[in-house]
Amino acid sequence: MDSLRIEATSCSPLIDFDAAAGVLRIEGESYPENSFDFYAPVFTWLEEFLKEPAPPVVLEIGLSYLNTSSIKCMIDVLEMLDGAHQKGHTVSVRWHYDSDNDRALDMAEEFAEDVSLPFEILAH
Amino acid sequence: MKGNELFNLQELLSRQKLLICFSGPFSHSVIEELGKAVRNHLENERIEKSAIMDVFSVYVEQAQNVRNYAASREAQGRPIPANSGIVVIGKDEDHYVVSSGNLVERDDAEGLEAMLEKLRGLDKAGLKAAYKEQSRKPRDAAANGAGLGLIDMARKASRPLDYSLREVDDTYFFFSLEVQL
Repeated sequence: MDSLRIEATSCSPLIDFDAAAGVLRIEGESYPENSFDFYAPVFTWLEEFLKEPAPPVVLEIGLSYLNTSSIKCMIDVLEMLDGAHQKGHTVSVRWHYDSDNDRALDMAEEFAEDVSLPFEILAH
Repeated sequence: MKGNELFNLQELLSRQKLLICFSGPFSHSVIEELGKAVRNHLENERIEKSAIMDVFSVYVEQAQNVRNYAASREAQGRPIPANSGIVVIGKDEDHYVVSSGNLVERDDAEGLEAMLEKLRGLDKAGLKAAYKEQSRKPRDAAANGAGLGLIDMARKASRPLDYSLREVDDTYFFFSLEVQL
């Protein structure tokens, strides 16, 4: 399966999904003009990726700010991965945040509340 | 604009201790550039990063709400009168206040009022529960938003959201929203 890469802009994050390595990176800030349009290729790619017997997957998130429509998209991404986890896939999340940004920590903790997959929150 | 009108407008704005005030066509690039300017300004004020992010995120939610509402009505063939939206960030003693105003269709006024009254009646735990409930609803691609903006602003605010709905004509109400951080 092909990898997915979308370069970051000032209001949308880097998307770098490496299918072979099973490493999915989302980094930057997210408040694009239309979040649902922006994340549509992410959902499509993940759906395909999770159909096959996938390698162990790590979602590496480094998002310092998300607007509410991006938060909704991220909840949906996490739910897809959580569904895979419940079916026995090896899936985990590593959420990186800047230690002087309390809001980024609060946000990460709220995302972690709603999923059962392994979810690490790492300060930098 | 005539000199004395401009003077009066500037005087009104400076009394409110405004950081920014924008009224005009809300494009995504305007929202982004103003947001950057606000963040740069607040970083120079040496306030805490979490406070900067609260002002910035409430500003983004309000500006995107104004823009998305206008865009959705335009897509339905009922464009809102041009440039009727406004967003303002001010300072009231030691805290920041983010406000916005825009025209909404008469049929939307009641729903907005009900939503805001509901949010005003909730405490922190109630707001969190409302947020979680809304965030689990399926995405509505036509809405261009997740319906989370107002709840998120209410959670960040230091007191209940303040709003008003004022009848403008047969078609529109002017909706204003004030969020105290």
